[in-house]
Amino acid sequence: MTIDRRTFLHATGMCFGGVATFGFPTVQFASVPEPGRLVFVLLRGGFDGLAALVPVGDPEYADLRAGMAFEPGDLFGLDGTFGLAPGLEPLREFWDAGEMVALHAMAIPFRTRSHFDGQAVLETGLGRPEGSADGWLNRLLQVMEGERSGIAVAAGMPRSLIGSYPVSTWSPAELGAVDDAYLDRLHLLYRSDPRLFNRFEAAVQQRDRVGDESMGEGGGRNADVGELFRAAARLIRTEAGPNVAALELSGWDTHANQGLVGGPLDRLLGRLAEGLVAFRDEMQERWSDTTVVVMTEFGRTARPNGTRGTDHGTAGAGFVLGPRVAGGRVVADWPGLADRQLYEGRDLHPTLDTRAVLKGIVRGAFDLTAGQADRVFPDSVGVRGRVDLMA
Amino acid sequence: MSAHRALNRFGLGARPDESRADADPRGWLESQLASEPERRPTPEGTEDPGSLLRAQLAASRTGDEAETREVRRRIGAHVTADAVDGLTARVAADRPFLERWVAFWSNHLCVGAGAKVPTRLLAGAYEREAIRPFVLGPFETLLLEATRHPAMITYLDNVRSVGPDSPAARRRGRRADTPVGLNENHARELLELHTLGVDGGYGQDDVRELARILTGWTVSGLGGAVGALRGEANGRAAFSFEPLVHDPGEKTVLGRRYAESGVAEGEQVIRDLARHPSTARFLATKLVRHFVADDPPAAAVDRLAGRFTETEGNLREVAREVIHLEEAWAPDHLKFRTPQDWLVAVLRGLGLRQAPPTLLGVLRDLRQPLWSPASPKGFDDTTDVWADPDGLLNRAEFARTVARTVSRRSRVDDPVRLAALVEREAGDPLHAILRDDAVATDERVALAFADPRFQWR
Repeated sequence: MTIDRRTFLHATGMCFGGVATFGFPTVQFASVPEPGRLVFVLLRGGFDGLAALVPVGDPEYADLRAGMAFEPGDLFGLDGTFGLAPGLEPLREFWDAGEMVALHAMAIPFRTRSHFDGQAVLETGLGRPEGSADGWLNRLLQVMEGERSGIAVAAGMPRSLIGSYPVSTWSPAELGAVDDAYLDRLHLLYRSDPRLFNRFEAAVQQRDRVGDESMGEGGGRNADVGELFRAAARLIRTEAGPNVAALELSGWDTHANQGLVGGPLDRLLGRLAEGLVAFRDEMQERWSDTTVVVMTEFGRTARPNGTRGTDHGTAGAGFVLGPRVAGGRVVADWPGLADRQLYEGRDLHPTLDTRAVLKGIVRGAFDLTAGQADRVFPDSVGVRGRVDLMA
Repeated sequence: MSAHRALNRFGLGARPDESRADADPRGWLESQLASEPERRPTPEGTEDPGSLLRAQLAASRTGDEAETREVRRRIGAHVTADAVDGLTARVAADRPFLERWVAFWSNHLCVGAGAKVPTRLLAGAYEREAIRPFVLGPFETLLLEATRHPAMITYLDNVRSVGPDSPAARRRGRRADTPVGLNENHARELLELHTLGVDGGYGQDDVRELARILTGWTVSGLGGAVGALRGEANGRAAFSFEPLVHDPGEKTVLGRRYAESGVAEGEQVIRDLARHPSTARFLATKLVRHFVADDPPAAAVDRLAGRFTETEGNLREVAREVIHLEEAWAPDHLKFRTPQDWLVAVLRGLGLRQAPPTLLGVLRDLRQPLWSPASPKGFDDTTDVWADPDGLLNRAEFARTVARTVSRRSRVDDPVRLAALVEREAGDPLHAILRDDAVATDERVALAFADPRFQWR
């Protein structure tokens, strides 16, 4: 059964007149191509790319990571150089289907070992941590044409979605039931607050749209990563669902005891990978035009520190998943792991700009022009989008 | 109007019976600085963190399920009792500005109670022992107490950091499977988050040298990694300096040389960092963002940074200056209440003096669990972070739930009294609703707390 968006919205009692009143752009029905969906997964804390997308074929790897090096047999080999950490093994489904590009030696354009500066640059998409407060996902919504909407499935509004385009947020918390009469009175009160009115409206619309979307069996605040991804998919896959979504997971700051096979970091990676598979499954047929980007603010030191962990570094790894990616390959201009090849003698050297990746993906996912992509990443006019990442 | 500001902007929200601020709002705030914050005893229901950790280690060694469950229950009870006490301090505060001041510094020098078991067990003690007694003294004392508290040392991994040239490293270096060396985490956050700020003028070499200086700053009596290092696991969790893991020799931080002097090097570098001009600027910016506006007005930052420098970081004088910042009283500057602020204001608005334990879960659902920020940066306090659609709806839902509960217990007999909680304006729709007997009492109570103006302070 196919049902067009207008019929669906009328059927569910959501009228566009109302939407337009609340600050959303005027909607055009004719000749709007079916929009794609982009999910940005931010792993806060700087995950260790060398322990996730492992350069086991680099001749320096074993010595450099002495005491913390994987054996080639532990890994799912991707090519002669790289293998997936055991925890990421579920991602082989994407790899085998040609739905995954693995990225390495990638970094934001600003050299910092601060989580907070790193996240600010990655989330605003700018060249430095200062400047516009708008996130690049919000700027993306601003430049896209036709109907579109964004959602954060996260603890609070992530910087990537902050900006002038109204977006909604959703979290699994269930704090009590409210009835419509109460919300109507509250609506009247919010009307007198221009700073909060749009946000309140977005929340009420979101509630109407998804009803009692819950975390499923796991339920509530103890829900695991898989449940979070599944719930996100249920929100995103609906006909009127958001085109742009941000998810985030924290806990990647491994200063001590990262461990190897089955260790603390590997278990985290495992939950991530299973979550991504669960997301794909739950998206059902909507997976066909969905692209998922997984990134982190920086990589970590190439050598282990004194406590079987790693400290804050520079370049790291990331992943792009989905049927529309030109998958089944590792994209890395590999800088090498010899002492003289490391950045400042300690970190993996960056050779790939996150913005080149993101620009290429937004162009492919939403059919944007180079000029539009430049407006999403305004400091990066000289940086060419890697359009080869998308089929 | 100014009384409303004093109670909400600087305080923790008005109680229905609170009127002390009316006559002289600034004087009322200033009077709160006359004596030190109330000391809080160890709450009932808590145990010694060291014995709890040892019990946990023992249970994991035997693998006994019943014993493991029992230890987990004791740890849960300890953490809950601590957190309820910490929240109650704010709900019941008679000097609410001072309590806000404590909360600000507790968040600035935060430990994340969610991260590691030892830190979780010590988070309550940390605020009681390292923050509360020092928030009106010199900043360098507060910084030193925070840096050496076992909660911070475990949270930022300094407990594991070993000088590469220390006697312990030399001894262990012969066993190739045991890596020993620096862990930069604590040093980096001390520079970036606690003192200079990320643009404060330090580099990677400074991080490393500071990490060397801090080697040996550890904890005794916790068992686990530290106990193993020292071959002991008994006694109270306390700061200790361990010369065996301290990296010997001269170090240089921000161009200043520190001759080898054991624990005194760290104390000296902390004093120097506390007095650094970048620190004055960084802290002033954060304070103005917290008490005045998301985009801190430059003049206010200058004034506060100047006061900080003149008084060598005397926090009582800095607090006094905050009260007298004109910008803080300007009606066009609004601050959005964080979830903790909002929840405490709701409880105070209802006239409660004790935080019920169930509210700890509510704080988690509102994404600001007590003492558990997602990172050492602490919780943000800007509108864009907290005033998201889902967050507003969550507040509306929780307000409804709590109103149903309290109205059943008849704590609020007349919702019209709650009108005092938000600023009066002509033709205010809330005031009309509160007077409307056709709307159920509990719904009117809920609307007072869900009202958009109750979200601002």
